[in-house]
Formats: sequence, structure tokens, C-alpha cells
Amino acid sequence: MRELVTRYLSNGISRRGFVKSLTKAGLTMTAAQSVLGSVNSVSLAQAPAAAPTVPAAPAAAAVGAVKSFQGTGGACFAEQLIASGVKYVFGNSASEDAQFYEALVDRPQLKYILTPHEGPGAAMAAGYIKASQEPAIVMQAGSVGMVNAIGQIFNAFKEQTPLVVYSYRTDQSRRAGRDGFEEIPNQEQVVQPITKYSWMAHRADMIPETVRRAFKAAWTPPYGPAYIDWHSDYTEERVRTDIIAQDQLDPRMRVRPNPDEVERAAQLLVEARMPLMIVGDEIYKAKAAAKAIKLVELLGMPVTQFRQLWANFPEAHPLWVGNTPGGTLASLAYPKNADVVLNVGNKLQHNGAAPIVPRGPKFIDLRIDFNSIGNVMVTEVPMVADVGYGLDDLIAAVEGMLTPALRQKAAERAEEVRKFGVQARALRGQIVNSPDWDSAPMIADRVTYEVAQFADPDAIIIHEAGSHAIHSFDFNPIGGRELFFYYGGHLGSGVGTAAGVKLARPNQQVIALIGDGSFIFGPTALWNMARLELPVIVIIYNNHAYGGPHSRVINNVPSGRMVQTGHFVHDYLGNPDMDMAAIARGFGVDGEIVRSPGELRQALARARAHTIEGKPYLLDVQVGRKGVGWAEKPWIPPIQVASLRTKKV
Amino acid sequence: MRVWRSAVPAFVGWQILLLVTSAQAQEPAAGAANPGRELVASKCFQCHTDAMFRDGRQDRRGWEATIYRMVGRGGLWTADEIKSMADYLGDALGPNAKPIGPAK
Repeated sequence: MRELVTRYLSNGISRRGFVKSLTKAGLTMTAAQSVLGSVNSVSLAQAPAAAPTVPAAPAAAAVGAVKSFQGTGGACFAEQLIASGVKYVFGNSASEDAQFYEALVDRPQLKYILTPHEGPGAAMAAGYIKASQEPAIVMQAGSVGMVNAIGQIFNAFKEQTPLVVYSYRTDQSRRAGRDGFEEIPNQEQVVQPITKYSWMAHRADMIPETVRRAFKAAWTPPYGPAYIDWHSDYTEERVRTDIIAQDQLDPRMRVRPNPDEVERAAQLLVEARMPLMIVGDEIYKAKAAAKAIKLVELLGMPVTQFRQLWANFPEAHPLWVGNTPGGTLASLAYPKNADVVLNVGNKLQHNGAAPIVPRGPKFIDLRIDFNSIGNVMVTEVPMVADVGYGLDDLIAAVEGMLTPALRQKAAERAEEVRKFGVQARALRGQIVNSPDWDSAPMIADRVTYEVAQFADPDAIIIHEAGSHAIHSFDFNPIGGRELFFYYGGHLGSGVGTAAGVKLARPNQQVIALIGDGSFIFGPTALWNMARLELPVIVIIYNNHAYGGPHSRVINNVPSGRMVQTGHFVHDYLGNPDMDMAAIARGFGVDGEIVRSPGELRQALARARAHTIEGKPYLLDVQVGRKGVGWAEKPWIPPIQVASLRTKKV
Repeated sequence: MRVWRSAVPAFVGWQILLLVTSAQAQEPAAGAANPGRELVASKCFQCHTDAMFRDGRQDRRGWEATIYRMVGRGGLWTADEIKSMADYLGDALGPNAKPIGPAK
């Protein structure tokens, strides 16, 4: 009965089919209708007629809803992962997980990907999850492995990626509690502030339950990472326990907005002089970009985006006015006079004292991430909902309110926005007029431009190129080029992310744009690209420096001693220069150094030839250091051990 | 590994005055209308404080290249506006311009 109700509520069975199944199970027609009525009353907050816009929680494959299972804790872990819909386990080796590895031998549907460092390994898992919207798990060796993965758990927390992380704890029966080898107290609490759920299984037979709860927490919107652990002897212990399909626990957090708030929001929007929409990542997750387009076209409403993981709106659309370049709406060139601002799914991460949306305009916030609504901005209309359903309801409400006069007003506004868009496009196109355009080493903008000319129409661009701007790609989440930006900001994610994305989307070109400083934090996933034959093109913007921190330090201490003397201790990565192509070859990936625009075009052609053959390729592109205070040969701190050596050893 | 802060400083009114006043003092015709200076004040300071400029010393071509880098970051200016800003910055903050000094 429970399974039947679940199927009905998740649109897996029709109303007629539901009643028919109930009568087949022995209920009278009257009783079946009564059950139907009860179920419908429970499901009012959902949308029985519409397909869910957020992916359902991971489903079990080829198992019943509940299966009794006997085996080692490691085998129970593997069985539950399969029942939770996991296909890939990303891990770094741990001898304490031996019984889990043993269980994998006869469970080929659960594929283990060995990652040679926990950080890029976690980034690869997160990249796979983001690109596939399917569950995965990443595992490390106890506390020491976990701390290597924490940077990427942080990223997953900030960007709200449902990454599930496991590592063992020191075994309970022999060693735990002595501050022994690699043991720390309360291991799971280390990551508690940056996870939605962190928990230890207290018995071996509770391993599957703990795993299920982790996936439930991670995949219940708003998404986020979850962390689980247990003493390693539980993995060895033989127990009997229940393995339960993940969909039996899904709380179906796909809610419609409050109808009263929808009416208020629609009223504000249709009456606005100049409404403005901000788009965000919940649109990508809900696959709701087409609905966002429909609403803005109804209202002739311009669209912008603040820093996010994905590009959530087609950048060639006539109502797109560009990303907001600064920290607040005030930095947007157009419109300057928005009186109603609608945010759809953007977390609006502040990086300054001023509110992103200033106090003047009326602010409507439509998001499932209720935690961050109203934290900073005065919110005239809060709408907690799946943004797909929210946009559906807003569209319906706006259509009901639009009079011919209002439609005319919207059309005139759309024309004004379109004219701005044409002009802005032309102005952005002037970038090729830079006096440094043809210089060698290249300017970063030339590299970006050439890659944009080269990329496939549906290429996926992974961006972790530090402070280098990204432009010229015309991203489009509806079948066009997609962006995976380093939103979280913990560096070293780019190569791993690209590997995970390619694993999930083998039939799309994947290009990773990575700064040299970022790259060197996490190149090990190159080895995964070589071993798994993941044909990613990796492009390093190599200026042999931390360019962003260089400029921002001067901004923080203008005209100080650093500027006067040229003594910057923190930013120059040259002397000796790192050879990223040589590093790539060490991981089994071919690559080359590129020094000029002409060389870049030829090198990109060679990169394409490699990827066609299923091989990754790396371009170490030499980029000039630009900005205040860069010397031709930057000073380096005079720390020389040579003068201290008295022995030639 | 560490988090890389990508701050964009907020607009601070008095700092604009500092730049404009300091630069003005080095111009032959102090006080005369200078469209380049006004463009820098109105356009650049939407995202930057004067600290981004105070220590910059480069010729006109260098400033022009700097402005074009901002085009890649979303700056929307006409070719004439870019020329005016580069002219002004190349004069006021050229290679031989005196140090402006730290903010008080």
C-alpha cells in the first residue's frame, strides 16, 4: 500500500490506476475512493498533474522497497548505496574499508573510481553530481583523508551540491578513545558547520539507515553536502539489516508557493514601471530556464545574474542585460531605475556591507532556500517554493492580470531593453580593440576569446581561472554552452570538476579554464582523465603569479611599503617557472606550452584531435602579468639556504 | 589550499575626491572641465575605490589596455569614452607622475 501511495504521489501511476490497484488488493470501490480522497488532501502542496521540476531523490535500482540483508557492514554499505541509486564511488584507499572493497568485487553496478588525492577526488564527485543530477558518494581514509576533502565539502556547502561523504573512524573494539594513530575526537563534528547532516552510525546494522539519511538530507532541497562515519570494526562485523530503496524516504520537498504571495508578486510585477529579474542556480537545478524566459517575455522584463555556479539564462536573449559586474545592483549599467526586483533562485552571496538589492525597489524573493531569504534584504514578497512551480504560478497569475494596455506597456519596455542589449553587445565586442590584443605572452582576454571561438555550440566550460574574466561564450542553459563556475572559492577544484563533468556528460565537449595558482592546488585528477579516457581540454592561464591577490593587496594597502619597494612576498610563482605541460605528462596527459595567439589556435586544433581520439590534452598558455606594481622580473624574498650549508650533503 | 577572495571594493565618495583632486593638481589647466576625469569618476568608481588607481603609473597605452580589460568584466563604454579615460589617466597617472600618497 505504501509503495502504491508513493507511486501515485510521485506521478508514477494515474488516479485511475491507483484506484484499480487498490481494488485489486482487496479494497471495495468505496474504500478505495476514500483512500484516494485522503491521499489527495495530503498532496495538495504538491503538483499531481505536473512533472516535478527538481529531480526526484535517488531511486533504488532493481531492488524492492525493503530487502532484508545479511552480511558484513561493508556489504550492507554497498547494498544500501545501490538501493540509494549510486553508480559511482569516488575514493582514496583505506585498509579499514577492506570489507567494503570486498563487497564491490561481486557488485559491478557499483563502480569505484580511485582518486589519488581526496580534494580533487571530492571535486570530481561533485562535478559528476552537478552534471548528472544523480547521486554519488566520495570516501576517504579516516580523519586524515577527510581533512584533505574538507575544502571541497566547503565548496559543496556554499554552492548547495548534494555531495555525500564517508570516512571511517578508528575501530571501536580495539583502539578508539586513546588519542591513537590518526584518531581525533568527534570526527564527524569537524565538518558539522559545512554540512546539512553529519552523523555517526552507532551500530553495524545501522550503517544502511545512516547512509539513507545522508542521501535524504543531501537531496532534499535546498541541497547540500552530508557527512557520515562509523567505527571501522562495524564495517567488518556481520549483521542482518534492512536495505531500503531511497525513494521510500524522499519527503518530496517540491512545494508550490503560497497562492496569496503569488498574487501579491504578480500585482507588483504587472504594475511596475521597470521590473528586473535576477536569475540563480535554482533555475538550473529545476530545469526551469524556459519558464523564466516565458515570464520575462510576458512582462518585457530585463534579466541579470549575480555570481553563481551556472549561467541560468540565455545570454543571447534580447532581455538579457548582462551579469552584474560589481557587488550590488548599483553596478549594473542598465536598468538604473528598477522599481520591482524579482529574484528567482539566486542565493545572493554578499561580499560587502551594502545590500545587493538596495532598499528602494520592492523585492520579491522566489526560492526553495528558505534559510537565506530575508537575511539581508527587506523582502516585500517572500515565496518559498520550487522555482519551477513558482514560475508556473507566477506566469498564470500575471497572464490573468495583463490587460491590453499593460501588454502594450510590456512590449514597449521589451523594445527598450532590446535596444540596450544590441548596444551592449557591440560595446562588449570592442574587447578585440585592446592595444595588447596581439601581444605575447598573451593577455588573458585574448585566450578566453580564442577558446570561445573554438568551443562547440554545446560545450561545457569549467571556470576556475582566478580573477580572469570570462566573456564571449554566450552561455545558454537550454541546449547551448554551459558554465560551471568556481562559486565556492576553495581552489583546486577545476581539474577534478572537469573530470566528473565529462564522466557524466561523455558526449559534450568539456573545456576547463584554470589559473596556474588554482591548477597547482589540485592537478591529480589529470591522472583520472588519462586512466578513464576522459577527453577534457584543460587550459592553464599561466602568468606565474597569484594575480588577483597581488592587485587586492595593493588595494588594501595603497601606496604602502610593498608598492614603494616592489617587495611582494605573497604573489610571484615564477623563478623557477612551473611547467604545467610537463606536470600533465607526469600524469599521463599530453600537453604543450603556448606563447602567442597564433600558437594558441594551432594548439587548440591539436587538443581537438586528441579529444576526438578519447584523450585529454593540456595547454599551458603563457599569460602576461597585468596590473599595478608588477616588475619585469619580480623580486623574490632572499631566503637562500646555500649560504648556510657547510656540508655538501 | 585556501579560499581566494574576489572582492570588489565598494564605492567610497571621499576617495574619488582624493583621486580627482590629486590628479587635478598636476594638470596644467587645473579646474577646467575634463571629460576623461569625470568619466573615470562616474564609471570606474562604481566598482573600484581610488586605491586601485593611486599606485598605478603607466603610459596612455597601458591605461587603455587596462580599461579594455574592464570591458571583459562587464564595463560598457563607447570607444570615445575609452579614449577620453585613457587620455586623462595617461596624463594624470603617467610613468612620471608624482606619488599621490596614502589615504588619510
